[in-house]
Amino acid sequence: MKLPSTLWRAAGASLALLLAAGCGRTPETAAGADGRPTVALVVKTLNNPFFIDMQKGAEEAAKALNANLLVQAAEREVDVERQMQIVENLIQRKVSALLITPSGSREIVSAIVKANKAGIPVIILDTRADAAALTAAGGSVAAFIGSDNYEGGRIAGEHLVARMNGKATVAVLEGIPGHETGDARLRGFREALKAHPEMKIVVSQPANWERDLGYNVTQNLLQAHPGVNALFAASDLMALGATEAIAAAGKTGQIAVVGFDAIDEARAAIKSGAMAGSIAQSPAQMGRMGVEAAVKLLGGGTLTPEIAVPIELIK
Amino acid sequence: MKIPPVIASHARQFGTLLVFMVLCVVLTVLTPHFLTVSNLLNVAQQTSINAVIAVGLTYVIISAGIDLSVGSIVAFSGVVMAGALQAGWPVAAAVLTGLAVGTGCGIVNGLLIAFGRLPPFIATLGMMSVARGLGLLHTDGRPVSGFGDAFRWLANGEVVGVPVPVLIMLGVYAAAHFVLRRTKFGRYVFAIGGNEEASLLSGVPVAAYKVAVYAVSGLLAALGSVLLTARLNSAQPIAGINYELDAIAATVIGGTSLMGGQGSVIGTLIGALIMGVLRNGLNLLGVSSFFQQVVIGAVIIAAVLLDTVFKRQKR
Amino acid sequence: MATECPLLRMTGVSKRYPGVVALDGVDLEVRKGEVHILLGENGAGKSTLMKILAGAVRRDEGTIEIDGVPLDEPGPRAAQAAGVSIIYQEFNLIPHLTVAENIFLGRERGLGFPGVIDQGWIFREAERRLTDLGVAIDARAVVDDLGVAEQQMVEVAKALSIDAKVLVMDEPTSALTDKEIVRLFSVIRGLQARGVAVIYISHRMEELFQIGDRVTVLRDGRLIGTRTIRDTTMDGLIQMMVGRDLTEKFPKRAVTPGEELLKVEGLARRGVLHDISFTLRRGEVVGLAGLMGSGRTELARAIFGADPIDAGSIRIRGREVKIDSPRAAIHAGVGFLTEDRKRQGLVLALSVTENVCLANVNRMATAGCMHLAQEESAAQRYITDLRIKTPGAAQRVMNLSGGNQQKVVLAKWLCRETEILLFDEPTRGIDVGSKVEIYQLINRLAAEGKAILMISSELPEILGMSDRILVMNRGRIAGEFQAAAATQESLLQCALASSHP
Repeated sequence: MKLPSTLWRAAGASLALLLAAGCGRTPETAAGADGRPTVALVVKTLNNPFFIDMQKGAEEAAKALNANLLVQAAEREVDVERQMQIVENLIQRKVSALLITPSGSREIVSAIVKANKAGIPVIILDTRADAAALTAAGGSVAAFIGSDNYEGGRIAGEHLVARMNGKATVAVLEGIPGHETGDARLRGFREALKAHPEMKIVVSQPANWERDLGYNVTQNLLQAHPGVNALFAASDLMALGATEAIAAAGKTGQIAVVGFDAIDEARAAIKSGAMAGSIAQSPAQMGRMGVEAAVKLLGGGTLTPEIAVPIELIK
Repeated sequence: MKIPPVIASHARQFGTLLVFMVLCVVLTVLTPHFLTVSNLLNVAQQTSINAVIAVGLTYVIISAGIDLSVGSIVAFSGVVMAGALQAGWPVAAAVLTGLAVGTGCGIVNGLLIAFGRLPPFIATLGMMSVARGLGLLHTDGRPVSGFGDAFRWLANGEVVGVPVPVLIMLGVYAAAHFVLRRTKFGRYVFAIGGNEEASLLSGVPVAAYKVAVYAVSGLLAALGSVLLTARLNSAQPIAGINYELDAIAATVIGGTSLMGGQGSVIGTLIGALIMGVLRNGLNLLGVSSFFQQVVIGAVIIAAVLLDTVFKRQKR
Repeated sequence: MATECPLLRMTGVSKRYPGVVALDGVDLEVRKGEVHILLGENGAGKSTLMKILAGAVRRDEGTIEIDGVPLDEPGPRAAQAAGVSIIYQEFNLIPHLTVAENIFLGRERGLGFPGVIDQGWIFREAERRLTDLGVAIDARAVVDDLGVAEQQMVEVAKALSIDAKVLVMDEPTSALTDKEIVRLFSVIRGLQARGVAVIYISHRMEELFQIGDRVTVLRDGRLIGTRTIRDTTMDGLIQMMVGRDLTEKFPKRAVTPGEELLKVEGLARRGVLHDISFTLRRGEVVGLAGLMGSGRTELARAIFGADPIDAGSIRIRGREVKIDSPRAAIHAGVGFLTEDRKRQGLVLALSVTENVCLANVNRMATAGCMHLAQEESAAQRYITDLRIKTPGAAQRVMNLSGGNQQKVVLAKWLCRETEILLFDEPTRGIDVGSKVEIYQLINRLAAEGKAILMISSELPEILGMSDRILVMNRGRIAGEFQAAAATQESLLQCALASSHP
């Protein structure tokens, strides 16, 4: 009968697939117990240029410092549960240190606590873990390395004020509600506008960090608020979505769009005049500093709990 | 070669099981971190949420239906339950409320399908959006986080060394298998999926049982949500995106026919474990997250291909 | 009209499946221009033999020659190229394509550009072929809009479009009315005149004598013999098929009708049923005759609660009951054995046991939990009692033959202790040997005190089985006969009579 042979064929196919997966491993990690420390970087997603830059910076530093680097991410930025699974699996793999950009500030806390219990140091990049929740759960992180998002938001706000001469009808695109990063940027932005009563925020809606949502939300808010002539988006992806919606409405150049992150496409848009500015973070530097900090810590050094990565206004 | 009849009659599940075992053997060879008690419990725990939701999908699919709304029900029932917990309700009351919300959504699905004569695809597609929206409305788009230890025990607790979610999962599977194979309800699910008209003409109350099937699916989605919320210590209105696809994948890998009338929950459990083990193993191996998606997709296709090959040979 | 040189010669064909010998050294010779009947009970090997001829199944041994050329290459395409075409009992038409598109499906002629079909040619060619067949079907009609008989003709046209030398027809008349059968036969005779060899499979013995030239009988995968139709009798053929003498096709029995179990009064469903009144007594078999579309099945469905009624009352055991769903009917003690067993009677993917107990799950369960042992023993009882041929109670019913499937449906209602049984075409598609068994069962049930309403299109069956006969005509009961006083002619007259003379 043919039944068993089919099973074996299937088994063989699975085997081949996995071996292929084995070959797909990053070569540095294949080495294993060679005495070099293994640093794992868990980003929110690798579909975003920001985190790809961060990965590149981390890889450079790892090479320079002779450390193994593992980079992992969930398929979707919002998938906090999957990020937690990845952290758990890396704990099982007994990595030397974890660098995490949390997909959810509160949701990541359980995973940090698990790493703490396993004795693996955790360094947070870019997006803070919720301090209160972390304390309540008895967890701790070795350091936070990131831009001052509040300061960035403030600089963006001041830029918009200067550009509009202190008078504008403003729309805001928020990130995923409840995200520390986005909230800090918005707080800074609002703070900058406070002193200018004629800068009016007429609408502020979440577009979940996504480009196509940025497009849709902007399209809708232009319908509802045709007088809008300035727009702040808490990330460049949303800002780029917004510029496309503005172009589709035939209003390119009539609405000043300020984004955040200064990714390459946004820089090009600023050059062409489609965007009025963006706040440059340096994700590559963030990744580099993260790996450097981890290696330092593993070598017995101590870290300052807050390490600021420089930001600048691109206009 | 002669095949024992037991294996021949369960050839499909046997094939799935074999794929699963081969996977485990290969991972054991490739990484020392896979075959450890703590990692296996880790995988079981990570699998539990998808596995519980997939039981509901298995019932629905055996009845020749489909339920696309489970991911949204996870989010909606989760935030309602989380709100109740934060309002100071006893854990049991809050959990029951969450389960009731999920069951309610399922009943609405069932009524639309059984009495409104909507195709299941359409009815649950609508519910997918409605439940998602209700969850966002309920929380204003923000996550609800921070619960007491009694609730979090559902995710973090252990009984004789076995994590509580794993016990819940095993309990659900034992019950679901019994119900499917040994009760009137199970018999009617198979009959309706196999031949709805013949069932109706045999006096099976088809409409009522369809409603019940979707109610079970909603209930189990809500139970999955309980596990998820306890695990993350947070309920997000954007949680559970694409969970319906994971659950359908587990069901299909487990040999349940999308045409209805055939299937088993044991197969689904193995299907969910295959997905969980793959994700875990690929993390342990440090495979790039992009390649992981390729491998997981390929395994789904391979498992279903195996199914067709079997059916062809049986002819 | 048949010449003596064989067009098709199959020699020593064998096919074994694990545990079963489906065909054992079968020879078959078919001549140019003859209608060759292939006869045998279900499971005798007819379908396997034809599938081997068509290349759908691979033979283990034996040779096939067409016009003296051996057909060795496996697969349906090679068989088609050699001129073999087969029309299966279940049509293989795409419902939402037109007649012409179906006829040339897979053999469309291109227009030069890759992938662009020459629609004009397809329609012209299809029209020509339909005209050749002498059938008036619009080549541009959508297949789904056609009746069964017209679809059958489309299948014939499709089969012939490859210029077939050998055409196999599997139960071509099973869904046709008498008038349509006459048309089909004239088409077959036309093919014969053109030298096409037709292999014809049917269970309807009368037809064989009308259309056949020679007949080959198979039993249990072996060749029993080939005869010229003129030199054989129906009884002789039946004996060859079943291997035993069937002394009586319709076993006799004595009846004393008892109390009134079912009384239908003034039943009506707008446009379908009008003022239907009749009674059914304990121990009685009442035949329900009439043309297709006269409302016979609709009447059974209405009594069973499967279709709503607009007026009228139903009394069971003297008490008026409201039947608004099959559930209510079953509760009142009515069982319905539908005409289309596969679509309406059985859950094919479930086992014999599960089907037998399907209408009776409530009594086989406590607090929702099934008593598997009790179910199993009930199924076993009926397997023995009704002589259901199955490897076991756990066998899926999709693997049983038509007659045994019908017995499973019957067991389902007996298991429910149903007293009023509505049979819709109980022997359709069932081979002769099993038919007699079904008749005996119906008689036994009547003798045990059940009341039976039997719908049938076969008048000999109606006459042979019934105590009383009702004839329907355009949704009304047009006549009632005592079986002893009725003849085929009188029934037909009543069924055909125009209401406006």
